[in-house]
Amino acid sequence: MHTSGTSTRHAAAATARPTPDPRPRTRRPRWAPVSVAASAAAGLALAASGCASSPGPAVSAAGAGQTVTVTIQLTPQGCAPKPARVPAGAVDFVVANKDADAVSEAELRTADLSKILGEQENLTPGLSGGFSLTIQPGSYTINCPGAARQHWDFTVQGKATGPSWTSNPQLAAAVRSYASYVDRSTADLISHTRAFCQAIDAGDLGQAEILYPRARIYYERIEPVAEIWGSLDTAIDGRWENPVTVASQFTGFHKIEQLLWEDNTLAGARGLCAGLLKNEQQLLTLVRSAQYNPLEMASGATDLMNEAATSKISGEEERYSNTDFPVFQGNLEGATEVVALLQPYLQHKDPSLLAQIGNRSAAITALLARYRASPGYDDTGYVEYSTVLDAQRRQLSAAVNALAEWLSKLSVQVSSG
Amino acid sequence: MTSPRTGKPGSGAPTRRRVLTGAGAAGAGVVAAGLAGYFARPAAPATAPGGVLAGGDATVPFYGPHQAGIITPAQDRLAFGTLNAVPGATRADLRDLLRAWTRASARMTAGQPVGEDAQPYAPPVDTGEAAGSPVSRLTITLGYGPALFDHRFGLAGRKPSALAQLPPLPNENLDPDYTGGDLCVQACSDDPLVAFHAVRNLARIGMGVVEHNWMELGFGRTSTTTASQRTPRNLLGFKDGTRNIKAEQTQLMKDYVWVGPETDQPWLRRGSYLIARKIRIFVENWDRDYLRDQEHVIGRAKVSGAPLTGGTEFTVPDFAAQGSDGQPVIPADAHIRLASFEHNRGIRILRRGYSFTDGIDPQAGTLLGGLFFIAFMKNPGQFIRLQRSLAADALNEYIHHTGSAVFACPPGLRPGQHWGDTLFT
Repeated sequence: MHTSGTSTRHAAAATARPTPDPRPRTRRPRWAPVSVAASAAAGLALAASGCASSPGPAVSAAGAGQTVTVTIQLTPQGCAPKPARVPAGAVDFVVANKDADAVSEAELRTADLSKILGEQENLTPGLSGGFSLTIQPGSYTINCPGAARQHWDFTVQGKATGPSWTSNPQLAAAVRSYASYVDRSTADLISHTRAFCQAIDAGDLGQAEILYPRARIYYERIEPVAEIWGSLDTAIDGRWENPVTVASQFTGFHKIEQLLWEDNTLAGARGLCAGLLKNEQQLLTLVRSAQYNPLEMASGATDLMNEAATSKISGEEERYSNTDFPVFQGNLEGATEVVALLQPYLQHKDPSLLAQIGNRSAAITALLARYRASPGYDDTGYVEYSTVLDAQRRQLSAAVNALAEWLSKLSVQVSSG
Repeated sequence: MTSPRTGKPGSGAPTRRRVLTGAGAAGAGVVAAGLAGYFARPAAPATAPGGVLAGGDATVPFYGPHQAGIITPAQDRLAFGTLNAVPGATRADLRDLLRAWTRASARMTAGQPVGEDAQPYAPPVDTGEAAGSPVSRLTITLGYGPALFDHRFGLAGRKPSALAQLPPLPNENLDPDYTGGDLCVQACSDDPLVAFHAVRNLARIGMGVVEHNWMELGFGRTSTTTASQRTPRNLLGFKDGTRNIKAEQTQLMKDYVWVGPETDQPWLRRGSYLIARKIRIFVENWDRDYLRDQEHVIGRAKVSGAPLTGGTEFTVPDFAAQGSDGQPVIPADAHIRLASFEHNRGIRILRRGYSFTDGIDPQAGTLLGGLFFIAFMKNPGQFIRLQRSLAADALNEYIHHTGSAVFACPPGLRPGQHWGDTLFT
């Protein structure tokens, strides 16, 4: 689940892809760094389709209103937006590069430059592109690296509007905390991947095998967020058959996994690991500028259990290493974190749903405990996944599906603020 | 109907065909009276124009310029079998088999049993399960897989250059148990038993020459192939095939479905390529997705089938339309956008798929089922192009291609002709 086309559209906007990413990906991005008002055609009015408006300036669901077009011409001198002041609401940024060799991108940033809200990259002379956002009132900066003058002011006027959930302190707090959780998990992913790469650099295959699942667990916690950036997700977490089936594009965790376990070699792993780290750094930059909403949080929790149900139970995802248990645990942690953050809100809104989810989570934890071992297979704390029999996998699957089913009832609760 | 011909069984000829021969020579008159109208319809096929009679007695003409079962209004049920030649089968075996299949198919599609004999001390010529079932517009469509044109049958020089194994495609993890095949038999009928009966009997006739490779049953059509048909729904709960090419669009059929003079193999003209893809749908995950998101994944409203840009089911989607937020109303990764001819340089295919289930995933306890996708086209490159476009499809999160095969379907036959006649001469 995701915020639907809306999220995808805006995910695309924020990474400045005017057309669908031609690179295939396993799953669809379900989270939006920014999000927009409901499409009229679907016939549903979900109040919570917007984003956090605090702290700081925000891009959010302003809903109705006219779309304003802002033209940005990339020149050796700079990237002056025309017009430089617009009313709050939907804005189309049209970016074109006629002949500026040294300037190839324009970004919309917060005035303090700390967050990228939208961008169009890779515009060599002769190319044009753009991105679309719904913007809250405030001061912003258009940034074009390489130009004589890099920073240009951009102002949005009018009265702030925000989705209704932003006025609910419990939901607003949950969203803020979730953003921190994603940032933290991504930072942990990087530090653990770095240790994994160091073991590879040191030629220590055994140690690399132990550190592999310890890094992956952090990715598996936040996977629905990482999937916003489809090509990055593919580069980090893509499997051979899905989505690429092209050796040159099979470069991430699972390629290294194949080298270590199936080919029993470190040859070639060093460069791949360096590339992996670089992609994770890029992910960190992106998640730091991402903004979330309760609907996306809730559907992301369901997604994590869907993910566990389809690719962990089958042993498909960690097919070379058989380390499915720790990454399964990562999915579960990511989902239960969402529930924990929404708990203050749900306690009043739907205590019985909260209780049901709690029971189902506990059931999975109890089942997982049966497979705990010390130190376990590759020091994972669990037995090797390939030793789990079909009948046992069905038990796990039933528990995961039961939790996912109850989690899927969250979205309507958090969207009716 | 065709009168049963006396075959010329050579060494290694199928036992089945000898039985057929016997039926033609001696068996018919003995006890046929009690068995006439196996499928509860007159022996003389009362075919209707276009084969669109509504009742269960309706038949679809077996003979014609194109094989039946392609632009025939999609029947409700499917039995699809792929078969491989057994080691040691010869060119003569294959040729004889195709003759026997032609005879049996002409009979079955006319509502007749494979053979009329029932001698107490011989196995019945027809397996019998469809006796009493209305023929229900049964069609039987034959296809040749790429491997049939290898060294075994001396057909290498007859291989159409466009007939090749599909390249690796996005979002697939193919199960060898559901991939490929030397031959395929597509049987469609409004009665599931009649469709199944056809494949079972053809495989039986082929015993000793071909063996089952894999088989799939489709329990509900997911496409319309004529303008008069109601649009069915697939297991996603959405209408499927709204924008399919329709039989009435003869120019589009010519441009995108029927093999024409562009082929390097004249025997294939007026034929078509069939691509089958077994697509698993993770229905449990899909069912947990909230309604608005499902509609954005597809690009249509779930109940009405109207595109998100409004109107009714058959309103043309406005892919350029933008919402007040400046974003396309039909999302950039919506299934109907990426699959549309507008997005694919005008390319179209004739879809003719069915919902299927293989029961329960033994590991996960979840449903093993989805869409058994079948499409006909002038060149397999059309499908390859579309499938590559679908690499970015939002729907990929919920589906996975697990089986695949491609076949060249020869053109239709005139009475007296047999499948393979043009292939072997």
